[in-house]
Amino acid sequence: MRFLILLLLLSRVLSAQVTHEDLLRADETPGNWLTYSGNFQGHRHSGLGEITPANVDQLRLKWVFQRRFREKFETTPLVVDGIMYLTVPPNEAYALDVETGVVLWEYKRSLPPKIIVCCGQVNRGLAIQGDRLFMATLDAMVIALDSKTGRLLWESDMIDYKLGYAATHAPLVVKDKVIVGVAGGEYGIRGFIDAYNVEDGEREWRFYTVPGPGEFGNDTWEGDSWKTGGASVWITGSYDPATNLTYWGTGNPGPDWNGDVRKGDNLFSDAVVALDADTGARVWHFQFTPHDVHDWDATQIMVLVDRAFQGRDRALLITANRNGFYYVLDRKTGEFLHASEFVKQTWAERIDENGRPVRAPGKFPTEKGNKVFPMVAGGTNWMSPTYSPRTGLFYVTAREGSSIYFKGEAVYKPGTRFWGGHFRNQDQDEDWKGAIRALDPVTGALVWEHRMFKPAWAGLVSTAGGLVFGGSEEGYLKALDAKTGEQLWYINLGGRIIASPMTYESKGRQHVAVAAGNGLFVFTLPN
Amino acid sequence: MARNVTGCGILLLLAAGFGWTQQAEKNPFTRFEDIAEGRRLYRLDCVNCHGMDGKSGRGARLASKFRRHGSSDSEMFRTISDGIPGTEMPGLWRDPEAVWKILAFVRTLEESGTEACVAGDGDPRKGRELFLNKGSCAACHTVGMGGGRLGPDLSFVGAVRSHDYLLDSLVDPGKDIPPRHRTVRLVDGQGGRFEGVILNEDGYTVHMLDRGEQIRSFVKTDLRQLEKPKESLMPGYGGLLDEIERSDLIAYLCSLTGPDVRAAR
Repeated sequence: MRFLILLLLLSRVLSAQVTHEDLLRADETPGNWLTYSGNFQGHRHSGLGEITPANVDQLRLKWVFQRRFREKFETTPLVVDGIMYLTVPPNEAYALDVETGVVLWEYKRSLPPKIIVCCGQVNRGLAIQGDRLFMATLDAMVIALDSKTGRLLWESDMIDYKLGYAATHAPLVVKDKVIVGVAGGEYGIRGFIDAYNVEDGEREWRFYTVPGPGEFGNDTWEGDSWKTGGASVWITGSYDPATNLTYWGTGNPGPDWNGDVRKGDNLFSDAVVALDADTGARVWHFQFTPHDVHDWDATQIMVLVDRAFQGRDRALLITANRNGFYYVLDRKTGEFLHASEFVKQTWAERIDENGRPVRAPGKFPTEKGNKVFPMVAGGTNWMSPTYSPRTGLFYVTAREGSSIYFKGEAVYKPGTRFWGGHFRNQDQDEDWKGAIRALDPVTGALVWEHRMFKPAWAGLVSTAGGLVFGGSEEGYLKALDAKTGEQLWYINLGGRIIASPMTYESKGRQHVAVAAGNGLFVFTLPN
Repeated sequence: MARNVTGCGILLLLAAGFGWTQQAEKNPFTRFEDIAEGRRLYRLDCVNCHGMDGKSGRGARLASKFRRHGSSDSEMFRTISDGIPGTEMPGLWRDPEAVWKILAFVRTLEESGTEACVAGDGDPRKGRELFLNKGSCAACHTVGMGGGRLGPDLSFVGAVRSHDYLLDSLVDPGKDIPPRHRTVRLVDGQGGRFEGVILNEDGYTVHMLDRGEQIRSFVKTDLRQLEKPKESLMPGYGGLLDEIERSDLIAYLCSLTGPDVRAAR
């Protein structure tokens, strides 16, 4: 017996067996990073506290993992007991030793020659359960890989990718189901969210984000416009075990900038839908931007927090939306509680008591072009915000600036762009800039901000050490004091950061990892 | 598993990063002198794995009309030019004309055979029994959804290995070991002995999948001994199985031409 124990100590055994209970208790094992957002609640917060405001300026590079590709590197790695799992564009997966970055196996998907995506052949990461990893692919498949070898175990068709469908986000595994949505909101798709059995890839349920005839909300689409209504899903949802609801943000209605061909509110585009995780049944929805004509997808991380709101403890869902407003909802009922601007916006006069925007006149796209704040990419976008239960603050990457929105013809042809216009970013203006902002999650009030040269595509992670890590468009990874926003450390990684950082522990040391350019960069404190 | 892409033919994305290249759907280089040039290029680039006759070696059997990744000219062009991600088939760094000429030569090899693996007169049903029971092959090899991780995945071995290669591997497993399945044995600083297949070796570290299918990580300076013997972890089956049994087992392996990975719809 003693011999056996000795053996275990001498070599590092790297193994991954993740149960649903492990995922539920992800906050209790901060050394691992088990889901895209770190926990089911979308917090992207780590309980690791070795790196602090006092020592963060000593961070040094530990290793880099590089691959050759032309696409944006948007992944968030998972870390399970000494192994890191990540995706690389277009649809590759790797297992790395977390100490060295050495490759243990790789999986490369053979994609068909003509993939149809608006914004790059990207992928944002994996999900894990048991000894299986799950990836959603650009040819609209969901696949399972063996976490020890990278071998393909099963693959399931979501739908025909040739019609403009693809999948790019990290799946969410809840109990025995892999939950995945489809992208393609610029191609006249009809969006949906699917659940597949982790064992064999059988589809268990589908929820259409654009309701069909006879279904609730179909009357919010004029005529047959629901058939090409978009409402794609391309960022990972959240899950609340207390209610068994899974929360997903949905994308823009199609066509993007010409709403004349789809009169009505266009449910459930630009909304959050709360679905029963077992059945996919809709329990409630809340639409941020009814009848959107600016391409303001609500595909942001839905952050679940328990806080006192107006003197009463409540289960909240908080989110900073691409339309420029920060929202607080009751996550059990979908009741609207609060909205406030977190970036400059000119399209709405206010949000009314039911959460519905009161539109400012004359802000729709026109043939000659109409300047509106925020920009088409929004006041924020898919990059992750973070919520720190320690500071009690919500942190978000804010994007300030405007676009000129043009309305054009909208004729649907399967598998081709269905835009109904175009846009021009006003990126030479003085007010085109970025920031990392800390908000009071209950009131939306600004607590501090760290200004950045340009609007960034990097997300955020907060830590128990009292830090927020974020990134800039120029490629600087930076550490801010979570309480004050003071910049404590930064380093130029030499490539754009279009991903959200994460942190994990190996051999008792805290590591910080982020994708930038064509590399994944990992930092620790010196020994 | 291979998605059969038809009708999209003219635009081929060269995954190696060459960018978009316009390609014909039909091979425009099929004259006698094109085939001769293709043969010359094949001898340079392809022969090591596929053999000059397209029947022998580690690569897929080309003396066959069976193509897991598509048999049309445009599909074959893509396979030769880009390689097949996730397999041992690399892409060629050659201009399109050279790829077409190699394809023209490969087409001549197809005439010499019709099946990927010629099974002989063994009984594949008996072979399957042997695989699962007497041979204990599934302890280390996967077929479809079940089996071990130490040995190569055999789910489609019948499509990519010849009868003779399989027989050699059965009797003398060390004759040709794919790099991913090389044996590693080591003794760490405290005398612990470990054996498995190598996942990584670089100047500083070694990683293995050990006999218990655990991934283990070692720092080289901590090791007392490190060997990478030429023999396989797989035992030779020359003594364990008689000639008829070997023939049955190979017939079973030849019948394995594709994993049933796509969930039934």
